[in-house]
Amino acid sequence: MRHKIVGEGVQRLDIYQKVQGTRKYPQDFNMEGQLYAKVVWSAYPHAIVKKVDIAAAEAMPGVVKVLTYKDVPVNEYGINIADQHVLAPEGGEVRWVGDRVAIVVAETRAQAERAAGLVQVKYEPLPVVTDPRQAMQPSAPLVHEDRESNILHHIPIRRGDVEQGFARADVIVESYYTTHYVEHAYMQPDAALGYIDDQGRVTVISSCQWPHDDLHQIAHMLDLPEDSLREIVPSVGGAFGGREDMYIQHLAALCVFVLRRPVKIIFDREEVTQRTGKRHPFYMRHRTGATRDGRLVAAEVELISDAGAYASTSIPVLNNAATFAVGPYKVPNARIDAYTVYTNNAVTMAMRGFGATQPPMGYESQMDKLAEALGMDPVELRMKNLLEPGDIAVTGNVMTEETGVKETLRRAALAAGWRQEGERWIKPDIGASSAPDKRRGIGVAVAYKNVGYSLGFDDKSSAHVTLTLAESGEMARALVKIASIEVGQGVLTALAQIAADTLGVDLSKVRMAYLDTANVPDAGSSSASRHVFISGNAVHRACLAAKEKWEAVLRAETGETHIEAEYTFRGRSVRATTPFAAETGQCEPHISYSYATQIALVEVDTETGETDILHFWTAADAGKVVNPVTYFGQQAGGVHMGVGYALTEHYIQQDGRPRTRRFSEYHIPTVLDMPREFESIAVESAPDPNGPFGATGLGETPTLPTAPAITNAIHDAVGVWIDDLPATSERVWRALQGHTAEE
Amino acid sequence: MPTLEMTLNGKPVSVEIEPGDLLADVLRDKLGFIGTKIACGEGECGACNVLVDGVRVTSCIYPAMKVHGRKVLTIEGLSEGRELHPIQAAFAAHAAAQCGYCTPGFIMAAKALLDKNPNPTREEIKQAISGNLCRCTGYYQIVDAIEDAAERMRGEG
Amino acid sequence: MWQKYLFPATVQEALEMLTAHPGESQIIAGGTDLVLQSKRGQCPATVIVDITRIPGLDFIVERDGFIVIGCQATHAQVARSPLIRKKAEVLASACGSVGGPATRNVGTLVGNVVNALPAADGAVALFALDAEVEVADADGRRWMPIAELYVGVGECVLDPCAQMVTAIRFRPLEPDQASAYQRLANRKALALPTLAVGVVVGVKDGACDGVRISVGPVAPTPFRARQAEAALIGQPPTAETIARAAELAEQAAQPRDSLLRGSRDYRQAMVGVLVRRALTEAAAKAEGR
Repeated sequence: MRHKIVGEGVQRLDIYQKVQGTRKYPQDFNMEGQLYAKVVWSAYPHAIVKKVDIAAAEAMPGVVKVLTYKDVPVNEYGINIADQHVLAPEGGEVRWVGDRVAIVVAETRAQAERAAGLVQVKYEPLPVVTDPRQAMQPSAPLVHEDRESNILHHIPIRRGDVEQGFARADVIVESYYTTHYVEHAYMQPDAALGYIDDQGRVTVISSCQWPHDDLHQIAHMLDLPEDSLREIVPSVGGAFGGREDMYIQHLAALCVFVLRRPVKIIFDREEVTQRTGKRHPFYMRHRTGATRDGRLVAAEVELISDAGAYASTSIPVLNNAATFAVGPYKVPNARIDAYTVYTNNAVTMAMRGFGATQPPMGYESQMDKLAEALGMDPVELRMKNLLEPGDIAVTGNVMTEETGVKETLRRAALAAGWRQEGERWIKPDIGASSAPDKRRGIGVAVAYKNVGYSLGFDDKSSAHVTLTLAESGEMARALVKIASIEVGQGVLTALAQIAADTLGVDLSKVRMAYLDTANVPDAGSSSASRHVFISGNAVHRACLAAKEKWEAVLRAETGETHIEAEYTFRGRSVRATTPFAAETGQCEPHISYSYATQIALVEVDTETGETDILHFWTAADAGKVVNPVTYFGQQAGGVHMGVGYALTEHYIQQDGRPRTRRFSEYHIPTVLDMPREFESIAVESAPDPNGPFGATGLGETPTLPTAPAITNAIHDAVGVWIDDLPATSERVWRALQGHTAEE
Repeated sequence: MPTLEMTLNGKPVSVEIEPGDLLADVLRDKLGFIGTKIACGEGECGACNVLVDGVRVTSCIYPAMKVHGRKVLTIEGLSEGRELHPIQAAFAAHAAAQCGYCTPGFIMAAKALLDKNPNPTREEIKQAISGNLCRCTGYYQIVDAIEDAAERMRGEG
Repeated sequence: MWQKYLFPATVQEALEMLTAHPGESQIIAGGTDLVLQSKRGQCPATVIVDITRIPGLDFIVERDGFIVIGCQATHAQVARSPLIRKKAEVLASACGSVGGPATRNVGTLVGNVVNALPAADGAVALFALDAEVEVADADGRRWMPIAELYVGVGECVLDPCAQMVTAIRFRPLEPDQASAYQRLANRKALALPTLAVGVVVGVKDGACDGVRISVGPVAPTPFRARQAEAALIGQPPTAETIARAAELAEQAAQPRDSLLRGSRDYRQAMVGVLVRRALTEAAAKAEGR
């Protein structure tokens, strides 16, 4: 299909409101007579709640009610598994400091805050388990006493014969890698305004990633039918996975359900930091073998992730991590065991990459270590092993024509100055350091991500299109209704572009409907980099259907001016994914993929261990770039999160208690911390014929290779391997101390 | 309850406040100017930037009493009806906003810079926004936008 | 949060307002620390006395052989002052490192000092300048060495309900003196220093004759490395003598393990590195290189 708007850097549909400050986020809404709610959080990382005494709090001026577990019709919820209490019951357990015990509702915020301090809770502390490796042991205290072990899930993947593979290897590299807790740090704190609308529906204005799933969970909690609930998503100030689980919507809904008055609730930044979910830390044991000519022959990987107090999406994250454990490489023999384990640490949940962000630290560090052991250039070694169309992945599936990962490496390496001579790749001369105590280094990393949900999940999205025709029969306006949440990634604009090109009209004629579950059909979650692919397909096909009807109306000259069409696109219609086979993990894991290669040129201060990023290249393959301007923004934003992951961000807990308490203690990169020179390379060599106009997805991929690109560059600069994130100046310094001691 | 009197976006405003009220809360909750955003609550991210007598402050920790008798400029004061200020137009042209939550704070920081330094270098621009955090854009398009805004304001763009 | 917010027109009036509300009053300048302390329940004051509208306290001048800085001067004003940049560069650098541009526009140098935290950039530089603070109370005004202000971490010796600091002074650097500021932090803006070092070095006829080395936060207050200073007096500032002094400073520093700032041995080693770099930089500038 011919396209002229897809591929153009058209202005974002919502940008005018955003630059004027008129775009409203949930905390910007107010209703007359609204009450204010404040949560009373658990004071312990693990305890039995003996008694919740609300008398003193309820007696405070302005307090309308203090809600406890007694006010919750069905006191459970959770995104995959309903294993969380809404409010902890007496006799029940709190399992991390983010558990909630009560909600104070008062006439003013200050009154609610004051009264919250007066809710008296008696706890019986229980033993706290904080290391998932210890929590896996049979003797460890149980986080959930109704389970037999803290191991929430285990995935084995087996391919070929690893022992034979290692026997054939000329070099074997073995290492242990750890990644750390980081947080989403979206700029807009969670907020919700709940009220009963004119049709008697419990309505919540909030930011989220999947409003229809929220309603599903809220319906369960309130024991109400879903159509008596409503969620409106005005604008979301960043999500990055952090709003996939419900943190506030159900609390607002509960307050409104009980009090029948508008209730507003805003988390302050300390609450967002200390009481909402984080990225899974992973502990990764890798053993990789290769032959002298640089072919991978065997890989053995053990992954352990910290699931925190509740399951959240720890199992799907683990699923992904397991499929990506050895990287986008041909590995004929592999043994992978992946575990996710409960602890009393913060709940871990979706965060940009969803299990594809941690494994690259393992597999890309291994590749560089192998390259060093083989005396081979790191790009050359990767080129010999990257998956190509027709190759078989470690899960036994055949890689399709859209496997464009090699091209991302080729383009990035050439841009960064590598020379290709036949099969040989030669690293560039990176110039002299700026000072005697500094060293330069260059490092490369490749990573990949699934687009859409995996392993048999019925990933689908519904779009509804209404065409309004002028008397002449020309299209005056197209209204597209789809619940794909705009979290900043530009999805509304991308879908509008797809709609415009499919209908053959100007972008100015396309309107994207305001996001209200009462009007707009379920599009699935804003996650898994899926909306351009899944929702884009839904919009594309709904528009095709609408266009057909329009053409029929014109031919028949019926004079109709209103045309509607709806389409539900299912990922399985273009590729059926299958769950892991029981012992071997063999399957068709993902609908589509997105690939990226990144290269970092760094300068390391050999005395302080500080790392400066001088130049950074990122080449990502998203099939087809729908909007080059927002594409650049995703690349830069993804790298920002990757740089933070590598160097400056660390969410620290001790014995289940947050030590990182506020924004000033959690360091996301400032403008001065970003690479001084930055190049974004759009790779469109392998469009996915199943994607709208060939597009797949890009939201997460640019965050995935960043950390290992930087740690590989640090090694190139100063000869030390950083196997544990973050690569703080102290860690690099410490590695250098050990390094020089060995010499 | 003291009465705060100030000039807000060019117009005289009078509002009753508590002695301990913070400027961001007064703007948002008492006066309905929700363009100023609260992101961190500790003056450490710049999302709440407003100008007080032309000086950029973090309004979430700025006592409202301090603006008594002073001129306050918020994001709402930049555009004239539907007409965008050149800084806003430049941000739009460069896609310098994704989720948009930090955007008013960056734009006010840019205004403070360009009012004092109409021809900043890229390094000066970066220093000026070093106290503004963004989680979405990676900052490059924001720096480009401010450079472009400077040109537009000098009449060259 | 607060019951009264008052604007005195003179220092005298400010002091009277303080003493009229014993046990519950406090001065506010920029408020960047005080507002947060009040929000977090760490400050009992309910009567706030805002000194920023008293005329004539925002001066940065040279007089009677001293550079004097008024208590209203913000970090931004100090950082861009041509006088400070020329004759007390270490203080300009330090003030320019605090927080972010908006914090520096509002937060005052004196306010930061009175907050008495060892990670205060301005205080580290002022210790290297042997600064004095002017304390005003009902008995009048007198100068006090800055070190005497500190009782412990976050604890200032002054009575917040009866006293205020009205100015800071120190000797400007002589033509044969130079200064330098080195800072280590987890990111390049909006971060407290993991370590900050301010030095002043004078070189006369090829030998050091006035060395001051200030380090924070490695102790409850900014810390002068006196042994290191003494080791350089009379010595030419060579790589060896500077390294020796840096080593002495490193040994004298006693940082603790900190979850957020780093372990003891790293922080201690960095004292040596930053002191060496600061001394090297200052000595080169003092010798006109």
